[in-house]
Amino acid sequence: MLRVSAAVERAGFPTATLVCEGFLGQAEATSSGLGMPALGVAMVPGHPDVQSVEELDRNISAVTLARLIDCLTTTTDGALQKTEPAPHEVVFEGSIDEVHRYFYENLWTDGLPIVPPTRERIGTFLAFVDRDPDEVVAEIPPDHRAATIWNIAVNGVMAGCRPEYMPILVALVEAMADPAYGVEHSGNTPGAETQIVINGPLIKDLGFNYEQGALRDGFQANTSIGRFWRLYLRNVAGFLPFQNDKATFGGTWRVVMAENEDALAEIGWPSICSEMGLPADESGVCIARYTGAHVIVSVYGSSAEECLPYLADAVVKYTGWELMFTVGMATGTYKPMLVLSPIVAKAIASSGFTKADVQAYLFEHARIPARQFERYISDWTNLVPGKRSLYDMTMLQKAPKIFGASRDRERLVPLVVRPEDFVIAVCGDPMRTNCTFLAHNGMLGFPTMRPIALPTDWAAKLRSSLAT
Amino acid sequence: MSDPRENGGTQWIHNPIGAQRGGGWVDDALSEHMRETDAVGGRAAGGGRVLQRVEGVRGKDADAAVNARFYRRGWTDGLPIVPPTVARVRDTLRYSPESAATVIGELEPMHGEASVEKLAVNAVMAGCRPDYFPIVLAAVRGLLDPRFNLRGVQTTDESVTPLLVVSGPLTEELGVNAGTGALGPGWRANATIGRAVRLIMNNVGGGFPAVTSLAGTGQPARYTLCLAERTRANPWEPLHVESGLPAESSAVTLLRAECSINVTGGLDDLASVMASAASAFSILHGGYVTVLVAPATARQVAEQGWSKRDVSRYLFERARMPIQEWKRLWVRAKIAPTYGLPSWVVAAEAAHAPIPIVECAEDIVVFVAGADVPIPQHVYFPTWGFPPCRIVVPITLPRDWSRLRQDVAT
Repeated sequence: MLRVSAAVERAGFPTATLVCEGFLGQAEATSSGLGMPALGVAMVPGHPDVQSVEELDRNISAVTLARLIDCLTTTTDGALQKTEPAPHEVVFEGSIDEVHRYFYENLWTDGLPIVPPTRERIGTFLAFVDRDPDEVVAEIPPDHRAATIWNIAVNGVMAGCRPEYMPILVALVEAMADPAYGVEHSGNTPGAETQIVINGPLIKDLGFNYEQGALRDGFQANTSIGRFWRLYLRNVAGFLPFQNDKATFGGTWRVVMAENEDALAEIGWPSICSEMGLPADESGVCIARYTGAHVIVSVYGSSAEECLPYLADAVVKYTGWELMFTVGMATGTYKPMLVLSPIVAKAIASSGFTKADVQAYLFEHARIPARQFERYISDWTNLVPGKRSLYDMTMLQKAPKIFGASRDRERLVPLVVRPEDFVIAVCGDPMRTNCTFLAHNGMLGFPTMRPIALPTDWAAKLRSSLAT
Repeated sequence: MSDPRENGGTQWIHNPIGAQRGGGWVDDALSEHMRETDAVGGRAAGGGRVLQRVEGVRGKDADAAVNARFYRRGWTDGLPIVPPTVARVRDTLRYSPESAATVIGELEPMHGEASVEKLAVNAVMAGCRPDYFPIVLAAVRGLLDPRFNLRGVQTTDESVTPLLVVSGPLTEELGVNAGTGALGPGWRANATIGRAVRLIMNNVGGGFPAVTSLAGTGQPARYTLCLAERTRANPWEPLHVESGLPAESSAVTLLRAECSINVTGGLDDLASVMASAASAFSILHGGYVTVLVAPATARQVAEQGWSKRDVSRYLFERARMPIQEWKRLWVRAKIAPTYGLPSWVVAAEAAHAPIPIVECAEDIVVFVAGADVPIPQHVYFPTWGFPPCRIVVPITLPRDWSRLRQDVAT
């Protein structure tokens, strides 16, 4: 609704958006994300779903109406321009301790020391892209600052990246700015965190860890690029806790996941980025926001038939409210990720299973009773208001046909709309039979892929950088 | 408590300026306003200066450097300030019942966000002891009450200022003076709590003198106007109890004061001052006027069985302006014809009766303060503006108040 209001306000007409009391925080985050923090919101006390008509009438006349009139009689400006340092300006000179303190006190860090972004260090990063440092890659909400090659380098330096990671950082910011990803939602209250996946020859060229401890800190490429992501969201996009980041709990940024492409090649499965169109022999990144990571321990079996029932069970167990992205709020955008360790992937592949076969299996077998699905999206959460059954929603063409096969509330329905909505990755300790599952945040961080463009003379530049 | 030269000789100094909801600074908006209006004021135009939350100031004379810098930027009231170091602000924030990032409202006229952190910065600058901060917070909640009409108070050409009367047991605990010299210098709480509110109005709300605040003369009470209501030698219930709060609680009562006039004598002397041109604006707008009654007079009339209400009623009946005098007043001649007059004034004029200075006895707020001496001194605080404003805000303390109080260097 706020999206419509923002568009209408931009056209110069006043709007008022009705928001229930419990969603005011969400409304604030969303209007900031839309670049219109002062968007007129008229609060409806409590929640209409639990009020009688008389109560609702009383609440609307006592509280909502006056604000509604206010909103409709004034128009709203867009985000105000902050006075900020010029793009190339030196913001501080001093000792290393002073730099850490200054950056920390001005809320430019994650609380850890940073590498001071000196002109010299920035220069080494810029050498790894064939682009004008002042080129505006995009404008990133909610603050709508210009994402430039220069400030990508600045935040890369601060995060502790190496200069040769720069092409990856640029690809990540391009992906961040892709409307399909939906970066403006990054401050929502569930507080999901982005998982970056990297594919291609850069995994080995730059020394990403994709084996034991693949999602653990301790490896510069994986760790510092993960940190860059969060610093960029903070310093350029403008997501700060107590401001535009309304995460109830939040979580630390995730380190980059590199797939084990040797294992993938051995079993003939495509990588995540290549499934999304990355040409062979190129490198690319895929970003998406996930709400957790649940390890599935000791997957026992030497075949697909033996391994997959346990995995399907885990997929069911660790999916709940996120089903509103399957049917309801943003139908067909739920794309959870199942990460297999290479040994499990190989056991499954030994039965002749392709990745598509695994996806098809999960689509067929990871199912729950319609009644349970309706509880998650409606009865328990009211995320999809109206208390309509999946059957009714199907009849109203608000859900795909497969969800409305009958009125039997005990019938089984899938967790996603299409088999390929299950994203399958392969990495981790090659000799351990554990897997992990990440529930997904749907359209509020939709999987988005960008190829990584390398500069001219990449090989020579890389050689000389690695020698320092 | 805190080392002002922490971290190798660099002081980390908070900026006291309000941020607006969209992220801009009140200071920048003011500079823009000054450019647009060609305003020339006591304040340096900020134009182009980049503000950060915190800046670093080096050197042995960092305190002096901060003072010079803040004065030049128009961030002080002209008196030296205590540099709001990160450490001092953090210390004050410990005494807040709410977290630093909480925004309790937007202050007029420039819509600066009153975040708890920003208020603490200005409280430190004003010289507040950290344990005064809950009173500052309560006072700012009062400013934010729509009845206070902060926009009007900030921007009017009149010299009106908030009058803060603190009542309840906290006044003695923190040493907010209600006795001898309560409106004068010498009392840290009275001096700094009122000053903090003024700095907040200037820096967070953007009511900068001669830029957005156009008071013709201003008045000394714009530096501070804060005192306590007597708990001892006071025969009557305090202001917060009159407003329905429990006696054991403490509260700040906010009123709008156009000035403060000392009156020595009895209630008739007070009435004589009230029935003068000083009351022009309460006749024009209505609203609450305030009377500080000396302990000796309070005791004397209370012994005759008078309540506060009886005092108000007496003053209401006696403080009447002869109609001829009223008709000669500038406000009557220049403003009333276009602005209009309240119905009770119109009625009195029609009847050729003396003009009451407020609509009813309840509009005369009475409290007891000052020295308990045989020569009674009272104060009349006329008011300005609308709507009627008598705002009582309970003071909320942090959960671990008694532990925190032990940490305060007294």
